[in-house]
Amino acid sequence: MIVAEGLHKRFRRAGARRGDTPLVAVDDVGFSAEDGAVTGLLGPNGAGKSTTLRMLATLIRPDAGRATIDGHDVVTDVLAVRRSLGFMPHDAGVYPRLTARENVHYYARLAGLDARTARSRTGELIEQLGMVGFAERRAAGFSQGQRTKVALARALVHRPRTIMLDEPTNGLDVMATRSLREIVRDLAASGHCIVFSSHVMQEVAALCDTIAIVADGRVAMVDSLDGILGRTGKSDLEDAFVHATGADRGTDG
Amino acid sequence: MSALIVMVKEVLDNLRDRQTLFYALLFGPVLLPLLLGGSLVASQRQVSIDFDAVTELAVEGAERAPNLVRFLHANNVDVVPAPADPALAVRLGDVPLVLSIDERYGEALREGRPAPLTLHVDEGDKRSSKAARRASALLGVHERTLDALRLQHRGIDPMLFDSIELTVDDVSSDGAGGQLLASLLPFLFIMSMVMGGFYLAIDTTAGERERRSLEPLLTLPLARRDIVLGKFGATLAFVALSVMLTATSVWALFRLFPIEMFGGQVRFDGPTVARALALAAPLAPFVAALLVTVSAWTRSTKEAQTYLGLLMVIPMAPFFVLQFLSLQATAASAALPMLGQYQLLERATLGEPIPALHVALSVGGTLCAAASLLVVAVRLYADERVLG
Repeated sequence: MIVAEGLHKRFRRAGARRGDTPLVAVDDVGFSAEDGAVTGLLGPNGAGKSTTLRMLATLIRPDAGRATIDGHDVVTDVLAVRRSLGFMPHDAGVYPRLTARENVHYYARLAGLDARTARSRTGELIEQLGMVGFAERRAAGFSQGQRTKVALARALVHRPRTIMLDEPTNGLDVMATRSLREIVRDLAASGHCIVFSSHVMQEVAALCDTIAIVADGRVAMVDSLDGILGRTGKSDLEDAFVHATGADRGTDG
Repeated sequence: MSALIVMVKEVLDNLRDRQTLFYALLFGPVLLPLLLGGSLVASQRQVSIDFDAVTELAVEGAERAPNLVRFLHANNVDVVPAPADPALAVRLGDVPLVLSIDERYGEALREGRPAPLTLHVDEGDKRSSKAARRASALLGVHERTLDALRLQHRGIDPMLFDSIELTVDDVSSDGAGGQLLASLLPFLFIMSMVMGGFYLAIDTTAGERERRSLEPLLTLPLARRDIVLGKFGATLAFVALSVMLTATSVWALFRLFPIEMFGGQVRFDGPTVARALALAAPLAPFVAALLVTVSAWTRSTKEAQTYLGLLMVIPMAPFFVLQFLSLQATAASAALPMLGQYQLLERATLGEPIPALHVALSVGGTLCAAASLLVVAVRLYADERVLG
């Protein structure tokens, strides 16, 4: 369960001097994501999706606003948030010289599992995510799909209730995307709260129970797919998205 | 506990990296001592003379001076026949040296006149000039014996002709090359520490960020301090391994060469090397902390390599400063990391006594510096800018 209210984050621009206006990455983002459902953050590149997820994952501190994950505040209760959260960032970031199994096992140990539990949990995830064929190979030569599976296994290894996936289908082929979609559905069905960011309309439309449309650092609309179509009076998500973000009124190009 | 898990993973990970292994296990411990120590020993070998070694000397007209030949033989010089044209043969390098015994030699000796001998030598050639110095020294000894015999024969005390008895008393504890050789050990130790941890420190900090594996790592439920300590521990393991291997190879290398040839008190025997290693030990955490902190501060592996490349100058700086300025070791300089170890290790290899205060200050100062660096590294990791 994620509750975010009025999140705001600005960065100094690269090479900026004192007094330059900072870059506002996230202006005002608020949404909530329920357990047992998939919540999608839909928005173009640079809309502030990744920055929002990073704030929720305790990697960066919001400049304003607050957020809780399963009741734990992301600023004041950092370790509790990290315990109940599994985060798969934009880049898989697997260790190339470790095997798939070693990658997952390392995270299991760091998340606090003892050696035996870590071993069995790693084996379980390798089965569950269909990684048996490459579990003992070093990650250096992995395909994007294989890397994503390793990263997902690492995010799930400590059985977090809340799972956040930042653009997980990027670079995946059709089969890998399908299998990831199934995994996400299963996780939601078993009661997990899942947040999923993407800029691909069909994917979000096919998978998400709730959709938050993010543009220019703000949440333009939050509703179910049917709700969004109904409120915008459009027949598909793409048109609804363009309408909701106001891009059809000829703002920046 | 988490720190230990991070450390074990980083060590395992980097044991699979050829670059890290090369610098930790080969460059510092094997290549560097061989290059520096080996060339130093070799050059010293060409200059210094070992009077106990049996050598050959080409002599022209050996039959004219049987006593001289016998004397040379008694002094480990085997006389062999000379080539037809001695001067040409030496110039071409066929033989290093030829001693020509003039046909008037025996006659002059019997009549009490100076007996003519000629040494054909090529002074431009190290081998030849070295052979000539040995031969001259031996001939000088032989001449003094003959002088004494002549004087005694005429009823004169040979002592009469020794108007000055010059004794050269070298009070420096080491020979000329000794100082240089003594500073070789700290240089090798510090250099191999830096090289041993160099790639691992970059790989685990700047490299981890560049591979994008830092971001998920930082969302795990563990303290940033443990992450830094784990990376520090892994770097320290490689630094320590590298310097221990270097100590072993220095000890082995100088067992192959007689160190006495340097004429000083420099020693590289087991106890001395062990003592030097113990004195250098506090440097290992310092070097590891320095490497980790600097590369954690940089934004990319390229930048880290540049900064750490500049850092390489640091182990060399005291080496040159001490060579040219010959700074006296004081309590204050002992507390400075690297400089202090340089001075302590130099004294250790020269077999000089070391004040306990200096050792205590060196250990304390170096460990404090290492701890401060680690505090900086933990701060860097606690800041969100570490993600780059």
